[in-house]
Amino acid sequence: MKLRIEAISVLSPTIRRFILAADDGAPLPVAGAGAHVMVSLPGETRSWRNAYSVVSGPGMRDHYEIVVRRSQQSRGGSAFLHERAVAGDRLEVGLPQNFFAPSRIAGRHLLLSGGIGITPFLSYIRTLHTPFELHHCCKREDTPAFAGLLPSGATNIVLHTNREELNFRTLLAAQKLDTHLYCCGPEDFMNDAFGAARHLGWPEAKIHRESFGGVVSGAFFTVHLKKSGLTVQVRQEETLLDALEAAGLEPPSLCRGGACGECELPVLAGIPAHHDHYLSDSRRAKNDAIMTCVSRAHTSELVLDF
Amino acid sequence: MIKSRPLYRPFTLDVSGRAHLVVTDQPELPEMVDLPSVDLEIFTVQTVSSEIEAPVDGNRRAFHAVVDLLAHLPRRLANDKIGLRIYAIGTEAFVWDVHNIARAAGLGSAEIHLTHAGSLRRRVYCAHCKTMSEDVTDNIVLCPGCGASLLVRDHFSRRLAAFMGVKVDAEIPGEIPAAESLYQ
Repeated sequence: MKLRIEAISVLSPTIRRFILAADDGAPLPVAGAGAHVMVSLPGETRSWRNAYSVVSGPGMRDHYEIVVRRSQQSRGGSAFLHERAVAGDRLEVGLPQNFFAPSRIAGRHLLLSGGIGITPFLSYIRTLHTPFELHHCCKREDTPAFAGLLPSGATNIVLHTNREELNFRTLLAAQKLDTHLYCCGPEDFMNDAFGAARHLGWPEAKIHRESFGGVVSGAFFTVHLKKSGLTVQVRQEETLLDALEAAGLEPPSLCRGGACGECELPVLAGIPAHHDHYLSDSRRAKNDAIMTCVSRAHTSELVLDF
Repeated sequence: MIKSRPLYRPFTLDVSGRAHLVVTDQPELPEMVDLPSVDLEIFTVQTVSSEIEAPVDGNRRAFHAVVDLLAHLPRRLANDKIGLRIYAIGTEAFVWDVHNIARAAGLGSAEIHLTHAGSLRRRVYCAHCKTMSEDVTDNIVLCPGCGASLLVRDHFSRRLAAFMGVKVDAEIPGEIPAAESLYQ
């Protein structure tokens, strides 16, 4: 659907909030807590599709609110929103999707976020009816921006400006049996949290992760496509999926974050570097499939059946 | 074998856990349980008639009745921290009672391990008046609630921790086959 940028607010030099609404003010599809939308953004040479959490509450149907950090290695998406987008612009926005909904059977929720990873939790805290605790970690200079997005005076919401201050071990060891853990933030932040959780005996079913937007950059590699007969180069800062799309192909994709499994393609030769959260360990070991949205290659070349 | 009939595994330690609580409806853990050399907390049931021994160590606690153990468990779990694994060893009714208490306390299926040990006796749920009969060893039982003769089916309800009993003479009233003692 085409949505118009109604308003832009500058929360910090690198963080902006956008209000999106339909031209005719028609009600938008409901976006539940943790949902995101894919927004198509024009770039220099091609357009990009980025996932942004809908931070307005699930009851809000007259507009979607998204909060966007300008990525330092922006491929064009967040740079466009920060440098060129103005109120009145129209953007192609997909239907809300949700791979990060809060558990309905959890008695309590422990939310851990780093940096812009706070965004899915902004809708959580408006929705949760069961007790929750939110710990947010950010750079000191970003504190006012994030503090402004959070309700003030809540004792169950804590902002940390120093990673040392937030001891995952202590926090995770103190949780009751009915607690679920949710984590969204930079890859190393999440790996630290989940590593501590697993060490303390947290079961997988109570660990929830959101990881879209963490573009996995890596070494340059080449992909040979058997069915289409094309050869595509994947540059360091772009994903395999982006490279396939830039070559004019229409490979399957949905979440673009390694979660949903939609973009799986068969691997005929070469060894993929798996970065997704979809394939099981035994499937990974076979090296016969790749999630094009986040995974790359250990070998300089891959042959895909596509 | 019907689908509702649960399958049980022998006791093995779930090494992903940080702490372990083993509960049994028997005075001692069955011999098949090969205790690993990690810190385990163990709850047993030693009825008054059984020989009462002092706790082997601080991690062992003996209750005088199954109901006492089951009544204590929710209070215990309410104060526990995540990372716990619970292991129930005993009759089917007991292990599923423990399972349901653990689920209510917030444990998930991956954190609960059930092992069937000891008697095959069944808890039977009357499909007509909802009365439970405990410790049923015959395949036909007189319902203490409505007086019907119930055929004990293999259909098992995990929610009720009971097997279903249905009127055995529903088609031809009064025609009740001889009961067999199948669930010792």
